[in-house]
Amino acid sequence: MLSRFPPRRATSDFRTHRRCLPLVTAAVVVLGSSLASTPSTAQWLNYPTAGAPRKADGTVDMAAPTPRMPSGKPDFSGIWISDATPEGEETPSDGFDLPSSRQMANIGIDLPGGLPYQPWLIPIVEERTANQAIDDPHIRCLPDNFLRAYGLPHMLKFVHTPDLLVVLNEMNAGYRQVFTDGRPLPEDPAPAWQGYSSATWSGDTLVIDTIGLRDDTWIDWNGSVLTEAAEVREEIRRPDFGHLEIRVTVDDPRAYTKPWTVTLKQRIVVDAELIDEICLENEQFVERMGLPY
Amino acid sequence: MKTTTKTALLSLAASVLVAALPAYAHHSFPAQYDASKPITLTGTVTKVEWTNPHIFIYIDVPDEQTEEVENWALEMGGPNALLRLGWKRDSLKTGDLITVEGSLARDGSRLANATSIVMAATGQRMLAGSSRDASAAE
Repeated sequence: MLSRFPPRRATSDFRTHRRCLPLVTAAVVVLGSSLASTPSTAQWLNYPTAGAPRKADGTVDMAAPTPRMPSGKPDFSGIWISDATPEGEETPSDGFDLPSSRQMANIGIDLPGGLPYQPWLIPIVEERTANQAIDDPHIRCLPDNFLRAYGLPHMLKFVHTPDLLVVLNEMNAGYRQVFTDGRPLPEDPAPAWQGYSSATWSGDTLVIDTIGLRDDTWIDWNGSVLTEAAEVREEIRRPDFGHLEIRVTVDDPRAYTKPWTVTLKQRIVVDAELIDEICLENEQFVERMGLPY
Repeated sequence: MKTTTKTALLSLAASVLVAALPAYAHHSFPAQYDASKPITLTGTVTKVEWTNPHIFIYIDVPDEQTEEVENWALEMGGPNALLRLGWKRDSLKTGDLITVEGSLARDGSRLANATSIVMAATGQRMLAGSSRDASAAE
């Protein structure tokens, strides 16, 4: 970081200058070589994704074969965003905004009759929908549960290793761990925003089971929730390079009269990077709306 | 095609593009702003808060009738949304003359949610990462 050094005081000592010249020349050569191999600092936002398959015109080949780990199982690594991303715009640094999924507001929008709420939950969701979700934990800068994160306009980075799948969320620098080392689910988990997740493979589908969620975990903008009784199963496929299909089954008898299943889709994002969004930096909504903290 | 016609069509296309693009969401847009009350403000930037979850800029807007200057607050998208839209953190500087299109706050204060900004010096029109469209999604 040369720019951080204070500038050298100018000297009129010609002898000193002559004596140092070879060293300076050598330093310039070394520095020049170093800079020549260092990416421009302007490229960080669009730094090319290694190994992304490209078509002849340079665009991403979304239908290219599924990347695989040495074991032969699909590798889910990559940056993902909801499939509402317009086709052909896999690099969201080219001047378009991140989209929200059509299920972001109502995760049960595709279910005939909607989500099968228990009677106690119906008026709560109606009130939250009517008051524009002003009690939403997301608005208070609290974490987003993974089901909700699939639909919000924040990038997720999957880091997939043989024994662990880590999902990083740029929103509030969040994380989720999915253990793939065969461990059982705990009998008495501490309630958590992402719960406790363990997964096994069924062919090329990763089957993730999650328990240990907090009560009143919001899963959409309307205020639908999961409770501590929830058992969530995700069946994740990567049918090609560019897409994830996540079949979600929620069994939460405290909140819903029967289990329900929806499919949430993701699209790959290349030549991009997560960018911090630490919500509390300059949060003004709660105070402006006169809401209680 | 006459230049004026072409310019008009390009402007129309740009407007449609701005309107059609899905936008960034963090907070409840309809709880704070009224999309049915659009506003256009031209003024000089007095302050830029390049912060999460949303960027705020403040501009001095002279009242055409009274010639008094009113300071308006304008909420935009978050830094990550704006960076991806092509903004730099120093794209807006104190003293810049800009024209902002957006939606008025419901509380009647001098606050608006910006949808686009035109830089007077260059004529460049930039999306502002408004949460309006995302909040309308159902």
